[in-house]
Amino acid sequence: MVKIFLGFLIFAALALFVILKGGNSLDMGGERLGDDASHAPAEAASDTASDASAAK
Amino acid sequence: MATLDADRPMTAEEKKVIFASSLGTIFEWYDFYLYGSLAAIIAKQFFSGLDEGSAFIFALLAFAAGFIVRPFGAIFFGRLGDMIGRKYTFLVTILIMGLSTFIVGILPNYTSIGVAAPVILICLRLLQGLALGGEYGGAATYVAEHAPHDKRGAYTSWIQTTATLGLFLSLMVILGTRTAIGEAAFAEWGWRVPFIVSIVLLAVSVYIRLSMNESPAFVKMKSEGKTSKAPLTESFGQWKNLKIVILALIGLTAGQAVVWYSGQFYALFFLTQALKVDGATANILVAVSLIIGTPFFIVFGSLSDKIGRKPIIMLGCLLAVLTYFPVFQALTKAANPDLYGAQQKNKVVVMADAAECSFQFNPTGTVKFTSSCDIAKQVLAGASVSYENATGPVGAPASIKIGETEIVSYDAKNLTADDAKIKSTDFKKAVADALKEAGYPTKADPAKVDQVKVTIILTYLVILVTMVYGPIAAMLVEMFPTRIRYTSMSLPYHIGNGWFGGLLPTTAFAIVAQTGNMYNGLWYPIIIAGMTFVIGMIFVKETKDVDIYAND
Repeated sequence: MVKIFLGFLIFAALALFVILKGGNSLDMGGERLGDDASHAPAEAASDTASDASAAK
Repeated sequence: MATLDADRPMTAEEKKVIFASSLGTIFEWYDFYLYGSLAAIIAKQFFSGLDEGSAFIFALLAFAAGFIVRPFGAIFFGRLGDMIGRKYTFLVTILIMGLSTFIVGILPNYTSIGVAAPVILICLRLLQGLALGGEYGGAATYVAEHAPHDKRGAYTSWIQTTATLGLFLSLMVILGTRTAIGEAAFAEWGWRVPFIVSIVLLAVSVYIRLSMNESPAFVKMKSEGKTSKAPLTESFGQWKNLKIVILALIGLTAGQAVVWYSGQFYALFFLTQALKVDGATANILVAVSLIIGTPFFIVFGSLSDKIGRKPIIMLGCLLAVLTYFPVFQALTKAANPDLYGAQQKNKVVVMADAAECSFQFNPTGTVKFTSSCDIAKQVLAGASVSYENATGPVGAPASIKIGETEIVSYDAKNLTADDAKIKSTDFKKAVADALKEAGYPTKADPAKVDQVKVTIILTYLVILVTMVYGPIAAMLVEMFPTRIRYTSMSLPYHIGNGWFGGLLPTTAFAIVAQTGNMYNGLWYPIIIAGMTFVIGMIFVKETKDVDIYAND
């Protein structure tokens, strides 16, 4: 158990370092409904659609 | 079969069982975060050449792939698992998931093979979704059937920690690749690397799973010729079982799912989108809270072996119901005190003809809300402004009143894309100026973010997640007999998490835009968690002492 805990701490420290380095470029929100990758073309057609996405 | 020896340490075989089972769920989470992080790049690579009609269809299919098909995978693979065994079904699901992820990494883009690229991508996503539906139930069943009777909660809770591990793993691979090859190369071809390296995870998973033994409970049942010939009919065609499946959904997994989504995802969204905390700070604060909170999955899983699953899960739901409003208000005060102050001081009113206003529920992201009322509310919701609704004259465009300033909105229905863009820019600027004058900050002041307080609040939310999620696998396993366990427990889990949980962000946004209060989105998780608490307390029985082999 102690080994697992230590392993987790090392892994977590590494992750924190990565997140610190990543700054604003990282997205930790996961896959989302209504904000999927395939919506990119629609944004050009309507600004309001992107407003809604942005507000989500 | 599992023994009743309470005090012996975990054997090497049991550790291997847990590790092998958890690898699949790590895969699930790795993928989940990969698609979130790389959404913009994937859109550019696979969907940028599509016309609007095709984009609409692909958006619906992507929505289905991400969330709708999982319960169907649960039924399909659950049935297989109950008929041919946990081990082989388990191998098939991880192979499908892993290969689908890997193939995305080598799939030619739209520029190379045209519309075939998004079609194949969506097919891979659908396959992935189906396999995912069979993965979690298999993992939970397999671990529980190997665990000692009085340690099922502790053993299965390890599976639940994989969400955090999957997140961190995906971030490390993405950022490692980006740093190594640079932003431009990453956008061009480097984004493929995180998908391709998943083949290593797959190889390890398959190697370990091949060396595993079939679940002893299933082997025994098979040798006695007692396996179910029709798990679907038994699970869902007989009221005595169907009743338990429904109770597992509304009395357990629905509430668990919304508490989990609120703690892990909505909190981050609320920090960045509603409270305007910059992404880097929000990510760090959420990551720290996850690191502090993650061991509590094991704590509550183990505790559930002693005091029961039900009290812990129900307390998690109850605390969510009772504390979400004050906790999120405290989060506002700690993360963006200027916004909190402006909200207390200034009244904002949207005057609109009620017929102009829609409930902006848009789970597929394909609907465009173009009326003057909807646009006004979108802009205010996006700026985290709480507002009141007042009835305006029939047929007149909606307007926003901020202090003494009144700004008239516009209808974008019949405007060309260019005109709509100009109108939108002008309108947003006018609203932004008026809000600034009224003291609304455009961003949270980094110097005023109380990072310690925010971390404590976020950790509390994650601990609620661990309360409802830590013991859930053991409880679901214990509700059903071995012959139909895989099928019966997988379905409520995936409907609960995929549908009730997956719909949280979009439903919450629609409620916020409709009512004008940025906290009102919390009503969705509160109502669902409240429903689960009441139904669970009345109808769901404690299962920790259930002999899961009694009816075999």
